[in-house]
Amino acid sequence: MEITVNKVLDAKGLACPMPIVKTKKEMTTLEPGQVMEIQATDKGSTADIKAWAENTGHQYLGTVEEGSVLKHYLRKASAEEEKPETTHPDIMNLDDLLMKIKGNEKISVLDVREPAEYAFGHIPGSINIPLGELEQRFEELNNAENLHIICRSGNRSDLAAQKLTAKGFKNVKNVVPGMKEWAGPVDKSH
Amino acid sequence: MKVAIIAANGGMFDAYKVFNIATAAAATDAEVGIFFTFEGLNLIHKEAHKNLPMPPGTEHFQEGFKKANIPPVHELVSMAGELGVKMIACQMTMDVMSLEKEHFIEGIDVGGAVTFLTFAKDADVTLTF
Repeated sequence: MEITVNKVLDAKGLACPMPIVKTKKEMTTLEPGQVMEIQATDKGSTADIKAWAENTGHQYLGTVEEGSVLKHYLRKASAEEEKPETTHPDIMNLDDLLMKIKGNEKISVLDVREPAEYAFGHIPGSINIPLGELEQRFEELNNAENLHIICRSGNRSDLAAQKLTAKGFKNVKNVVPGMKEWAGPVDKSH
Repeated sequence: MKVAIIAANGGMFDAYKVFNIATAAAATDAEVGIFFTFEGLNLIHKEAHKNLPMPPGTEHFQEGFKKANIPPVHELVSMAGELGVKMIACQMTMDVMSLEKEHFIEGIDVGGAVTFLTFAKDADVTLTF
């Protein structure tokens, strides 16, 4: 699986606590929302990175094992992301979305999270365009009907819904809260 | 999170126990303070901390440290300093051992028991090594 990241940290061959210490240092160079891949050979690092993310408020996306190398994926959190301020008026909750997907009506689901987040779990059939690329790529959506936009917590999808409505898209819905509470079917691309 | 550690022993294994937990905690945004007392003072002594003894009969682990690529103690100590770990040398033990502040690495504080207690009174984790 190819996962797009903003930074790769090589912590291979390092023993505990070095992968954590390096991760901490490297994280300060990332912008909020960016994704880092940490390559490690320390077998304890999977549990440690996960616990570290929980304690520091960053988002642990998952780990991929390639031979003896563990690739951990973290997304740097931003303070405002945790408290969404919805301004796009047309919202839909997760249960209603699940019913729509199961129904016969044709709908499109646009996932605006980073490709690494999408890779570790997304709604089957959803399109992935990260919020940061939406301005350049919105033409890809021109044939989409009934756009339902989702992210992790409802904040990025709100911004995306506003952007697309401004571009002239009709019937755009922001799905809240988002993938962090999605209990329906999930595809992984690795 | 706030972590208060007492380092009271001066062997190489003791150094790893103390500084691994301290640096991992500091890297996880914890406020960390270590009180060095009795043999624990070796861990921050300018010369002694570069050549700490291994417990008798465990010398064969030397190879294991190399194989597992464990950083030398002095690197962990300077990393702890960089990460903002507060290191307090025990004044009373320094007097007993005729040691002065300049015998120790840069950036340490010297204090008594109450200095440590004041730091530790609202700690979430307290450890003794």
